[in-house]
Amino acid sequence: MNNQSLDPRVNRLKLNASGEAVTVQEGENWNVFEVFHQEKRGAHHEHVGCVHAPNAQLALIFAKEQFGRRKKCVNLWVVRSADILAFDAEDEDMFANNGEKTYRDASGFKVMEKINKFKKAAKES
Amino acid sequence: MINTTAINALLTAMADDALIQGHRNSEWTGLGPIMEEDIAFSSMAQDKIGHAWALYKIMQEELQGGDPDQFAFLRNEKDYKCCHFVEHPNGEYDFSLMRHFLFDHAEAIRYELLQQSSFQPLQPLAKKLKGEIKYHTLHANAWVSQLCRAGEESHARMQSALNTCFPLALGLFEPGGEAEEILIAEKVYPGEKAIKEIWLDKIYNILSVAGLNLPAEKDAEPVYGGRKGYHSIYLQPLLEEMGAVFRTDPAAIW
Amino acid sequence: MKTNGLNMVYYKVRKSNSFAPVILKVSTTADFGDRTKFSNLQDYQNNHSMYGGGYIFDEPNNRQLKEEQIHDDPEKLTEFEDRISRGEKIEPGDWMPSEYRRQLIRLIEQHAHSEIIGALPEGTWITRAPGFKRKLALIAKVQDEIGHGQLLYNAAETLGKSREAMINDLLSGKSKYSNVFNYPAETWADVTVIGFLIDAAAIVNQIANSKGSYGPYCRALERICYEESFHLKQGHDAFVELAAGTPAQREMVQDALNRWWQPIMHFFGPPDKNSTHSEKLMQWKVKMASNDDMRNQFLDTYVPKIWDMGLTLPDEKLKKDEATGKWDYSDPDWDLFKIVINGGGPCNKERLDVRKWAEEHGRWVRKALMNPKDKISAPVA
Repeated sequence: MNNQSLDPRVNRLKLNASGEAVTVQEGENWNVFEVFHQEKRGAHHEHVGCVHAPNAQLALIFAKEQFGRRKKCVNLWVVRSADILAFDAEDEDMFANNGEKTYRDASGFKVMEKINKFKKAAKES
Repeated sequence: MINTTAINALLTAMADDALIQGHRNSEWTGLGPIMEEDIAFSSMAQDKIGHAWALYKIMQEELQGGDPDQFAFLRNEKDYKCCHFVEHPNGEYDFSLMRHFLFDHAEAIRYELLQQSSFQPLQPLAKKLKGEIKYHTLHANAWVSQLCRAGEESHARMQSALNTCFPLALGLFEPGGEAEEILIAEKVYPGEKAIKEIWLDKIYNILSVAGLNLPAEKDAEPVYGGRKGYHSIYLQPLLEEMGAVFRTDPAAIW
Repeated sequence: MKTNGLNMVYYKVRKSNSFAPVILKVSTTADFGDRTKFSNLQDYQNNHSMYGGGYIFDEPNNRQLKEEQIHDDPEKLTEFEDRISRGEKIEPGDWMPSEYRRQLIRLIEQHAHSEIIGALPEGTWITRAPGFKRKLALIAKVQDEIGHGQLLYNAAETLGKSREAMINDLLSGKSKYSNVFNYPAETWADVTVIGFLIDAAAIVNQIANSKGSYGPYCRALERICYEESFHLKQGHDAFVELAAGTPAQREMVQDALNRWWQPIMHFFGPPDKNSTHSEKLMQWKVKMASNDDMRNQFLDTYVPKIWDMGLTLPDEKLKKDEATGKWDYSDPDWDLFKIVINGGGPCNKERLDVRKWAEEHGRWVRKALMNPKDKISAPVA
């Protein structure tokens, strides 16, 4: 019996000092939920991490303190990690050429150049 | 002008309850049943201690009270006005959860009513704490209702914790005699009996859905004494511990 | 769901070419390489003394590494190493060498354990902290340590080891935690020294690690470092309060410094000349700084702050060599360090007994709400 702890809390626990093995069963730490944090109204919810919880209700309650206790937060979402659908890491190449497709980008259209050229030509004629 | 002695008695009781409840709950920090819950429970313990601090500050600023640290940590046992309910050691998590459930619903109702208090400094405080306390009751309700529907052992533990806690919890509403009458007349708050009635309704609804039997009030012997300075055997050692460092040099700043 | 005691491991199931639902199934054997099963690796670790800085305990693993490397696809390995040298992060779904996965699990897991166990020495003073401000700050700090453990276990879980398996390896002593938490917090001054100096040392270590190659670990460390800066500040504040206080308070903090100095010097691990850390781990950005470099950085920043307060440190040799910028110091007792790591410290037994108590007494709560039929997965990022 260990009653010599310097921690009065520990002395009240009545520790089992027998050295017997203690094991946690697989699944005892419940399921995993991804947590999304909204910093202010109007902002996106952003992924900040996850919590272990038996269901969504407790996941949200846990997320509130684990991810909302310090920084500004107005809302949170939780969703089971198992329900997240994502691309495979090696399929990153599908996104590779996006940057080159300038017809999707404002910079791909030189309107002012055309206007100036037109004006210049009109003036000269 | 509201009677200072009476308002002091009310604030001291409220603050001492919050301080000791927060102190007890903080003992779980690092020892809880799972990390996520450990974090949540610790936050609520901090909130409770914060509520006590805020009340002692009101007493200092509005009622010529002493320094909050000295007052909270260094009084003699008989000058504390907390109820026995909060003094009891944590025991197992079922007891701590049930105490949290019963205590926090009472606190929620009390602060809600204090939003209309004629003692002006309580109004902004009650409004400020509203959100915190809402989370506390949400947390307590989720745990109580989920554990009560999670199999025989878990249900039995919660019922047994309720049976143990109920007479103690009635001590939260220990009648305050003449001082309480004055506060009711002055519209500081509607009094202990009124809070208790709302509380009983509230917890009965949640507990019955959860499948727990709330013991009848008439069969329960309320554990009183705290408000008059008579305490359980657990308070004195708690106070010695809480003030241990302070007392090594009361003149020093820590 | 099949279960097989401690050695259950998640692996990712690829469903189609383009879409891989991030469902992680439970398997009875590790998917970390054909040759090596997880349990054997754990035994291997356990039978070798561990050294290392901060939360990392190096192991002599050269033999292991060579064999593992043979099994890694050379083309993928090159691609992986190129990616790291370009400064890119590795994410959970990426291909990675089995040895990289194994070392990261070990590192992050030990770091997580250190947070959970680290909550205990300071927790010693929660019920006695003097005054509202100190009491609330201490509870919040210990709470943060649990929060850090939570973040780190999640990061390790993305690599395929369940939180339950990690907790079991902590409880059985298979997996280590930082040595410094095997010492007792004897007085209130100890809390201030821990809060100031151990947290400062941890920050040096964690900032280095946060520049590592594994995305989930870096993200966890980013948040952790942010919170540690609050710990350091409140620790420093409480420390200075005592150092600038009454004679009794000064005596108390000096005494705490004297007792904690050796464990603090141990914190970063044995000198580089004795440490068998692998070049591979440096190349893979798992280990980010050498023990001596981290120790020197710590001494350079914090020794002057201690001396500024007119306090002393129990090492006559302690002095900065202005020419080299390096600090000279007496070697702490490295034999003692090994003894404490292997269970011989003043608090090893109590620390694990308390964790066992917490797991045992929390079990009914966890079991009551277990839902084995739920669709389960490891964290996705």
